[in-house]
Amino acid sequence: MQRLMELKEEMGATVKDFILREFLPGEAPENLTDDIPLISGGILDSIATLKLVMFVEERYGITLEAHEVDREHLDTVHDIVELLASKK
Amino acid sequence: MDFGLSEEQRLLRDNIVKFARGVLCEGAGARDRDQVFSRDLWRRCAEIGIQGLPAPADYGGSGLDALSCAVALEALGYGCSDGGLTFSLCAHILACVVPITRHGSDEQKRRYLPGLCDGSFVGAHAITEPGSGSDTFSMRTRAERQNGGWRLNGTKTFISNGPVADVAIVFAVTDAAKGFQGGITAFVIDRETRGFSAGQKFEKMGLRSSPVGELALDDVFLPDTAVLGQVGGGSAVFATAMDWERSLLVAAHVGAMERVMETSINYARTRRQFGQSIGKFQAVAHKIADMKVQLDAARLLTWRAAWRLENARTASMEAAIAKLFASEALLKTTLDAVQVHGGYGFMVEYEVERALRDAVGSTIYSGTSEMQRNIIARWLGL
Repeated sequence: MQRLMELKEEMGATVKDFILREFLPGEAPENLTDDIPLISGGILDSIATLKLVMFVEERYGITLEAHEVDREHLDTVHDIVELLASKK
Repeated sequence: MDFGLSEEQRLLRDNIVKFARGVLCEGAGARDRDQVFSRDLWRRCAEIGIQGLPAPADYGGSGLDALSCAVALEALGYGCSDGGLTFSLCAHILACVVPITRHGSDEQKRRYLPGLCDGSFVGAHAITEPGSGSDTFSMRTRAERQNGGWRLNGTKTFISNGPVADVAIVFAVTDAAKGFQGGITAFVIDRETRGFSAGQKFEKMGLRSSPVGELALDDVFLPDTAVLGQVGGGSAVFATAMDWERSLLVAAHVGAMERVMETSINYARTRRQFGQSIGKFQAVAHKIADMKVQLDAARLLTWRAAWRLENARTASMEAAIAKLFASEALLKTTLDAVQVHGGYGFMVEYEVERALRDAVGSTIYSGTSEMQRNIIARWLGL
């Protein structure tokens, strides 16, 4: 359980770092919270989402299915981490 | 790194060039003038396997990889001077056969692919609407849930093969709140479906033997089994079609560029003015040298994009690069070919004017050059 918590924490930090670096340059890190809407909020468009998917697939050695690449699974950092953790 | 073709690919190319020159070119001018789509030639193409190039052999296709498909379509574009027919074939293969192959259920593949491969069916891909072109996902066509299926209403426009299509992939909004990711669904629909009809057919500047028109959906009921891919997964189906179309439709452009370049070389070597062949004048020779540079660059970009379709997580940016470059190169090559031919180039008889008219659309369909630049810029983080 402790290990899972640590894994999710690391995943959350990694995903946030990537989003800040790639899509929100100059944004204060504290503004990117776990529950801020990324797709429905317009931070991630289709190409940005695909870039994020490619990044996490390579980083964690997993594959996201086509039906998982949508707002339901990737709309917040929290959603993304839950999806990634379920595949580890 | 190997830039050569395999023996099988060379054979494939040679066979298609021979077939296209022998069967598809005769009467191309008349079909362009009269805007005739030839079902007979469509079936002849199917007999040698063109429509089913990327479809699995189990469903009547050839099961070729994307790079081999690019070689085949380049051969078609090279050998076939009927640009409209080539365009219709590409739209059918890349935007209908490929998405059904990649996203279809076993039942959908069994139902549609054999007919799409053997020439019985003409396929179309319907996403554009009167109010949504480049802004694709602002579409108004709606699909509402209803008793084990969906009720579709809306109008699609500028649909390649639309007036003659037997099968169409149609996109509709199924959850407006979700938008482009999760809110759009693709459906496969038969021509005979009640409420589904072809509307106005448009007259075009070029590609005139390829029919384009409207498709109307008036209270069309489709069962759940008509959903292509997942409910809400329309953006994935669309992305597949666009990646393949942008990567491989331009393979046919590469072939057309080579044909037009060779026509220009032949003319420049035989046409004499001021006591020598016009190819000896640098103003003419440099135009043709530029054609060769653009041809080779377009071919390499096309092959790379085609290779990535099956060997990389995404070909989105490389497909946009290939599409942008090859379509702009085709347009420049055909315009220069008319100039090299002088007054004769302006005459219908010499065919380069038709090649130019056919080329103009290439920088517009499957995403305008401006949209390709937007895509490339987004991938670069801009």
